Amino acid sequence: MITAQARDSFERIFRKAAQARLPIEPGDTCEIAPVGAGDATRTDAMKGAQVVVLTISSIVFRLLLILHFDENDATRGYYLKDDVERPFQEVFLEICNLCCGAMNQELLRYFPDLGMSTPYVLSAHCLPYLRELNPDFVSAYSVTLNGSMQLAATICVCADAPVDFVADTSAMEETSGELELF
Amino acid sequence: MSKILVVDDSSTVRDEVAGFLKKNGLDADTAVDGKDGLAKLKASPGIKLVISDVNMPNMDGLTMVEKIRGELANKTVNVIMLTTESSPAMKERGKAAGVKGWIVKPFKGDAVLETFRKLAS
Repeated sequence: MITAQARDSFERIFRKAAQARLPIEPGDTCEIAPVGAGDATRTDAMKGAQVVVLTISSIVFRLLLILHFDENDATRGYYLKDDVERPFQEVFLEICNLCCGAMNQELLRYFPDLGMSTPYVLSAHCLPYLRELNPDFVSAYSVTLNGSMQLAATICVCADAPVDFVADTSAMEETSGELELF
Repeated sequence: MSKILVVDDSSTVRDEVAGFLKKNGLDADTAVDGKDGLAKLKASPGIKLVISDVNMPNMDGLTMVEKIRGELANKTVNVIMLTTESSPAMKERGKAAGVKGWIVKPFKGDAVLETFRKLAS
Protein backbone atom coordinates (compact mmCIF):
# COMPACT_ATOMS: atom_id res chain seq x y z
CA MET A 1 0.00 0.00 0.00
CA ILE A 2 1.28 3.45 -0.92
CA THR A 3 -0.28 6.37 0.93
CA ALA A 4 -1.56 9.48 -0.86
CA GLN A 5 1.29 11.59 0.53
CA ALA A 6 3.85 9.02 -0.62
CA ARG A 7 2.33 9.04 -4.15
CA ASP A 8 2.48 12.82 -4.16
CA SER A 9 6.10 12.65 -3.00
CA PHE A 10 7.09 10.25 -5.82
CA GLU A 11 5.46 12.65 -8.30
CA ARG A 12 7.19 15.73 -6.94
CA ILE A 13 10.57 13.97 -6.84
CA PHE A 14 10.10 12.92 -10.48
CA ARG A 15 9.15 16.45 -11.59
CA LYS A 16 12.14 18.01 -9.86
CA ALA A 17 14.56 15.41 -11.26
CA ALA A 18 13.14 15.67 -14.79
CA GLN A 19 13.32 19.46 -14.78
CA ALA A 20 16.92 19.33 -13.57
CA ARG A 21 18.24 16.59 -15.85
CA LEU A 22 16.19 16.22 -19.05
CA PRO A 23 16.94 19.68 -20.54
CA ILE A 24 20.35 19.79 -22.22
CA GLU A 25 20.99 23.48 -21.51
CA PRO A 26 20.33 25.23 -18.15
CA GLY A 27 18.01 27.84 -19.72
CA ASP A 28 15.81 25.36 -21.62
CA THR A 29 12.19 25.07 -20.51
CA CYS A 30 10.73 21.75 -19.33
CA GLU A 31 6.95 21.55 -19.00
CA ILE A 32 5.52 18.47 -17.35
CA ALA A 33 1.78 17.73 -17.56
CA PRO A 34 -0.02 14.71 -16.13
CA VAL A 35 -1.62 12.21 -18.50
CA GLY A 36 -4.60 10.13 -17.33
CA ALA A 37 -3.33 7.35 -15.07
CA GLY A 38 -5.29 4.79 -17.06
CA ASP A 39 -3.35 5.82 -20.18
CA ALA A 40 0.04 5.06 -18.67
CA THR A 41 0.07 1.47 -19.90
CA ARG A 42 -1.65 2.19 -23.24
CA THR A 43 0.88 2.34 -26.04
CA ASP A 44 -1.38 4.44 -28.26
CA ALA A 45 -2.00 7.06 -25.58
CA MET A 46 1.66 7.82 -24.89
CA LYS A 47 4.09 9.55 -27.22
CA GLY A 48 7.20 7.64 -28.23
CA ALA A 49 7.84 4.42 -30.11
CA GLN A 50 10.57 3.38 -27.71
CA VAL A 51 11.12 3.59 -23.97
CA VAL A 52 14.15 3.74 -21.70
CA VAL A 53 13.56 1.79 -18.49
CA LEU A 54 15.44 2.29 -15.23
CA THR A 55 14.76 0.74 -11.85
CA ILE A 56 15.27 1.99 -8.31
CA SER A 57 14.90 -0.85 -5.81
CA SER A 58 14.62 -0.88 -2.04
CA ILE A 59 13.47 -3.44 0.52
CA VAL A 60 9.97 -1.92 0.55
CA PHE A 61 9.38 -0.90 -3.09
CA ARG A 62 10.56 -1.15 -6.68
CA LEU A 63 10.18 1.96 -8.84
CA LEU A 64 10.36 1.87 -12.62
CA LEU A 65 11.13 5.16 -14.34
CA ILE A 66 10.09 4.84 -17.99
CA LEU A 67 11.02 7.60 -20.43
CA HIS A 68 9.25 7.48 -23.81
CA PHE A 69 10.94 8.86 -26.91
CA ASP A 70 10.87 8.91 -30.69
CA GLU A 71 14.24 8.89 -32.38
CA ASN A 72 13.17 11.58 -34.86
CA ASP A 73 14.88 14.73 -36.15
CA ALA A 74 13.52 16.89 -33.32
CA THR A 75 14.80 14.58 -30.57
CA ARG A 76 18.14 13.92 -32.27
CA GLY A 77 18.56 17.64 -32.99
CA TYR A 78 17.81 18.61 -29.39
CA TYR A 79 20.17 16.12 -27.73
CA LEU A 80 22.94 15.86 -30.33
CA LYS A 81 22.94 19.46 -31.64
CA ASP A 82 25.16 19.31 -34.74
CA ASP A 83 27.23 16.34 -33.60
CA VAL A 84 26.39 13.64 -36.15
CA GLU A 85 29.10 11.25 -34.95
CA ARG A 86 27.74 10.59 -31.47
CA PRO A 87 25.23 7.72 -31.28
CA PHE A 88 21.88 9.17 -30.18
CA GLN A 89 20.84 6.31 -27.90
CA GLU A 90 24.15 6.42 -26.00
CA VAL A 91 23.63 10.12 -25.29
CA PHE A 92 19.94 9.78 -24.43
CA LEU A 93 20.51 6.75 -22.15
CA GLU A 94 22.99 8.77 -20.11
CA ILE A 95 20.50 11.67 -19.83
CA CYS A 96 17.88 9.20 -18.54
CA ASN A 97 20.46 7.70 -16.18
CA LEU A 98 21.14 11.16 -14.72
CA CYS A 99 17.40 11.80 -14.30
CA CYS A 100 16.94 8.51 -12.45
CA GLY A 101 20.10 9.22 -10.43
CA ALA A 102 18.61 12.54 -9.28
CA MET A 103 15.44 10.71 -8.13
CA ASN A 104 17.57 8.08 -6.41
CA GLN A 105 19.61 10.74 -4.60
CA GLU A 106 16.46 12.42 -3.26
CA LEU A 107 14.77 9.13 -2.30
CA LEU A 108 17.89 8.15 -0.30
CA ARG A 109 16.89 10.80 2.24
CA TYR A 110 13.92 8.58 3.17
CA PHE A 111 15.06 5.06 2.14
CA PRO A 112 18.74 4.33 2.85
CA ASP A 113 18.86 0.96 1.10
CA LEU A 114 18.40 1.95 -2.57
CA GLY A 115 20.10 0.49 -5.64
CA MET A 116 19.74 1.49 -9.31
CA SER A 117 19.77 -0.54 -12.51
CA THR A 118 21.57 0.37 -15.71
CA PRO A 119 19.21 1.82 -18.37
CA TYR A 120 17.87 -0.33 -21.19
CA VAL A 121 15.74 0.36 -24.27
CA LEU A 122 12.47 -1.45 -25.10
CA SER A 123 9.74 -1.02 -27.68
CA ALA A 124 6.78 0.98 -26.35
CA HIS A 125 4.68 -2.09 -27.23
CA CYS A 126 5.95 -3.60 -23.96
CA LEU A 127 4.04 -1.02 -21.90
CA PRO A 128 0.79 -3.02 -21.48
CA TYR A 129 2.85 -5.67 -19.65
CA LEU A 130 3.38 -3.24 -16.79
CA ARG A 131 -0.05 -4.40 -15.58
CA GLU A 132 1.43 -7.85 -15.00
CA LEU A 133 3.57 -6.36 -12.22
CA ASN A 134 0.36 -5.46 -10.32
CA PRO A 135 1.70 -1.99 -9.55
CA ASP A 136 0.42 -0.11 -6.53
CA PHE A 137 0.95 3.26 -8.19
CA VAL A 138 1.24 4.32 -11.83
CA SER A 139 1.39 7.89 -13.10
CA ALA A 140 2.16 9.27 -16.53
CA TYR A 141 3.26 12.63 -17.90
CA SER A 142 3.91 14.42 -21.13
CA VAL A 143 7.23 16.28 -21.10
CA THR A 144 7.78 19.23 -23.43
CA LEU A 145 11.23 20.73 -23.80
CA ASN A 146 11.64 24.26 -25.19
CA GLY A 147 7.96 24.37 -26.15
CA SER A 148 8.12 21.76 -28.90
CA MET A 149 10.36 18.75 -28.22
CA GLN A 150 8.15 15.95 -26.91
CA LEU A 151 8.99 13.14 -24.50
CA ALA A 152 6.75 11.29 -22.09
CA ALA A 153 7.32 9.56 -18.77
CA THR A 154 5.71 6.85 -16.69
CA ILE A 155 6.41 6.11 -13.04
CA CYS A 156 5.39 2.67 -11.84
CA VAL A 157 5.83 1.65 -8.21
CA CYS A 158 5.33 -1.84 -6.77
CA ALA A 159 5.25 -2.00 -2.98
CA ASP A 160 6.33 -5.01 -0.90
CA ALA A 161 5.35 -3.27 2.35
CA PRO A 162 3.44 -0.12 3.31
CA VAL A 163 5.12 2.97 1.86
CA ASP A 164 4.55 6.31 3.57
CA PHE A 165 6.78 9.38 3.45
CA VAL A 166 6.62 13.10 2.73
CA ALA A 167 9.36 14.44 0.49
CA ASP A 168 10.60 17.97 1.05
CA THR A 169 11.51 18.81 -2.55
CA SER A 170 11.71 22.53 -1.86
CA ALA A 171 15.01 21.98 -0.08
CA MET A 172 16.56 19.64 -2.61
CA GLU A 173 20.30 20.19 -2.29
CA GLU A 174 22.51 20.10 -5.39
CA THR A 175 25.60 18.18 -4.30
CA SER A 176 26.24 16.27 -7.52
CA GLY A 177 29.60 16.74 -9.18
CA GLU A 178 31.40 17.32 -5.86
CA LEU A 179 34.24 15.03 -4.86
CA GLU A 180 33.75 13.41 -1.45
CA LEU A 181 37.18 12.23 -0.31
CA PHE A 182 37.38 9.28 2.12
CA MET B 1 53.56 11.24 -17.74
CA SER B 2 51.33 9.24 -15.39
CA LYS B 3 48.10 8.06 -16.88
CA ILE B 4 44.44 8.24 -15.76
CA LEU B 5 42.08 5.38 -16.64
CA VAL B 6 38.38 6.22 -17.15
CA VAL B 7 36.08 3.18 -16.78
CA ASP B 8 32.43 3.54 -17.84
CA ASP B 9 30.04 1.53 -20.04
CA SER B 10 28.63 4.79 -21.45
CA SER B 11 30.69 6.11 -24.37
CA THR B 12 29.15 9.53 -23.66
CA VAL B 13 30.71 9.60 -20.20
CA ARG B 14 34.02 8.08 -21.37
CA ASP B 15 34.35 10.71 -24.10
CA GLU B 16 33.30 13.55 -21.81
CA VAL B 17 35.67 12.70 -18.95
CA ALA B 18 38.68 11.52 -20.99
CA GLY B 19 38.22 14.46 -23.38
CA PHE B 20 38.18 16.90 -20.47
CA LEU B 21 41.34 15.38 -18.95
CA LYS B 22 43.23 15.46 -22.26
CA LYS B 23 42.15 19.04 -22.94
CA ASN B 24 43.71 19.94 -19.60
CA GLY B 25 47.04 18.28 -20.35
CA LEU B 26 46.49 14.94 -18.61
CA ASP B 27 47.05 11.55 -20.23
CA ALA B 28 43.85 9.47 -20.25
CA ASP B 29 42.88 6.00 -21.42
CA THR B 30 39.43 4.39 -21.31
CA ALA B 31 37.84 1.01 -20.51
CA VAL B 32 34.26 -0.14 -21.16
CA ASP B 33 33.61 -2.12 -17.94
CA GLY B 34 35.33 -3.44 -14.82
CA LYS B 35 36.79 -6.45 -16.61
CA ASP B 36 38.33 -4.25 -19.30
CA GLY B 37 39.53 -1.80 -16.63
CA LEU B 38 41.29 -4.58 -14.73
CA ALA B 39 43.01 -5.79 -17.92
CA LYS B 40 44.15 -2.27 -18.86
CA LEU B 41 45.47 -1.62 -15.36
CA LYS B 42 47.40 -4.90 -15.44
CA ALA B 43 48.94 -3.99 -18.80
CA SER B 44 49.78 -0.35 -17.92
CA PRO B 45 51.70 0.06 -14.66
CA GLY B 46 51.91 3.83 -15.34
CA ILE B 47 48.25 4.33 -14.38
CA LYS B 48 48.12 6.31 -11.13
CA LEU B 49 44.41 7.19 -11.00
CA VAL B 50 41.27 5.24 -11.98
CA ILE B 51 37.94 7.07 -12.36
CA SER B 52 35.18 4.45 -12.51
CA ASP B 53 31.42 4.04 -12.76
CA VAL B 54 29.71 1.57 -10.38
CA ASN B 55 26.90 -0.05 -12.41
CA MET B 56 28.40 -1.71 -15.50
CA PRO B 57 27.87 -5.01 -17.33
CA ASN B 58 30.36 -7.93 -17.03
CA MET B 59 32.03 -6.53 -13.91
CA ASP B 60 30.80 -3.61 -11.78
CA GLY B 61 33.12 -0.88 -10.54
CA LEU B 62 33.24 -1.91 -6.89
CA THR B 63 34.09 -5.52 -7.74
CA MET B 64 36.85 -4.16 -10.00
CA VAL B 65 38.30 -2.17 -7.07
CA GLU B 66 38.21 -5.25 -4.82
CA LYS B 67 40.12 -7.18 -7.49
CA ILE B 68 42.64 -4.35 -7.98
CA ARG B 69 43.51 -4.49 -4.27
CA GLY B 70 43.17 -8.30 -4.01
CA GLU B 71 44.08 -10.18 -7.20
CA LEU B 72 46.42 -7.51 -8.61
CA ALA B 73 47.71 -6.64 -5.11
CA ASN B 74 47.88 -3.03 -6.30
CA LYS B 75 47.57 -0.94 -3.13
CA THR B 76 48.88 2.32 -4.60
CA VAL B 77 46.63 3.26 -7.53
CA ASN B 78 44.05 5.88 -6.49
CA VAL B 79 40.42 5.09 -7.37
CA ILE B 80 37.56 7.60 -7.57
CA MET B 81 34.01 6.41 -8.26
CA LEU B 82 31.95 8.57 -10.67
CA THR B 83 28.37 7.30 -10.51
CA THR B 84 24.67 8.10 -10.14
CA GLU B 85 24.65 5.82 -7.07
CA SER B 86 24.89 7.67 -3.77
CA SER B 87 23.74 5.24 -1.10
CA PRO B 88 25.75 5.19 2.17
CA ALA B 89 26.00 1.38 1.95
CA MET B 90 27.70 1.53 -1.46
CA LYS B 91 30.06 4.26 -0.30
CA GLU B 92 30.95 2.13 2.73
CA ARG B 93 31.66 -0.85 0.48
CA GLY B 94 33.82 1.39 -1.69
CA LYS B 95 35.68 2.76 1.30
CA ALA B 96 36.31 -0.75 2.62
CA ALA B 97 37.65 -1.81 -0.79
CA GLY B 98 40.11 1.08 -0.88
CA VAL B 99 38.24 3.71 -2.91
CA LYS B 100 39.74 7.17 -2.36
CA GLY B 101 36.68 9.29 -3.19
CA TRP B 102 33.15 9.43 -4.59
CA ILE B 103 31.52 11.77 -7.14
CA VAL B 104 27.79 11.70 -7.91
CA LYS B 105 27.14 12.36 -11.62
CA PRO B 106 26.87 14.61 -13.56
CA PHE B 107 30.61 15.20 -13.99
CA LYS B 108 31.73 18.77 -13.34
CA GLY B 109 35.37 18.71 -14.39
CA ASP B 110 36.46 22.14 -13.19
CA ALA B 111 35.45 21.28 -9.61
CA VAL B 112 37.76 18.27 -9.42
CA LEU B 113 40.60 18.92 -11.89
CA GLU B 114 43.25 19.97 -9.38
CA THR B 115 42.52 17.01 -7.10
CA PHE B 116 42.75 14.66 -10.11
CA ARG B 117 46.13 16.20 -10.96
CA LYS B 118 47.43 15.55 -7.44
CA LEU B 119 46.06 12.00 -7.30
CA ALA B 120 47.59 11.20 -10.71
CA SER B 121 51.05 12.60 -9.93
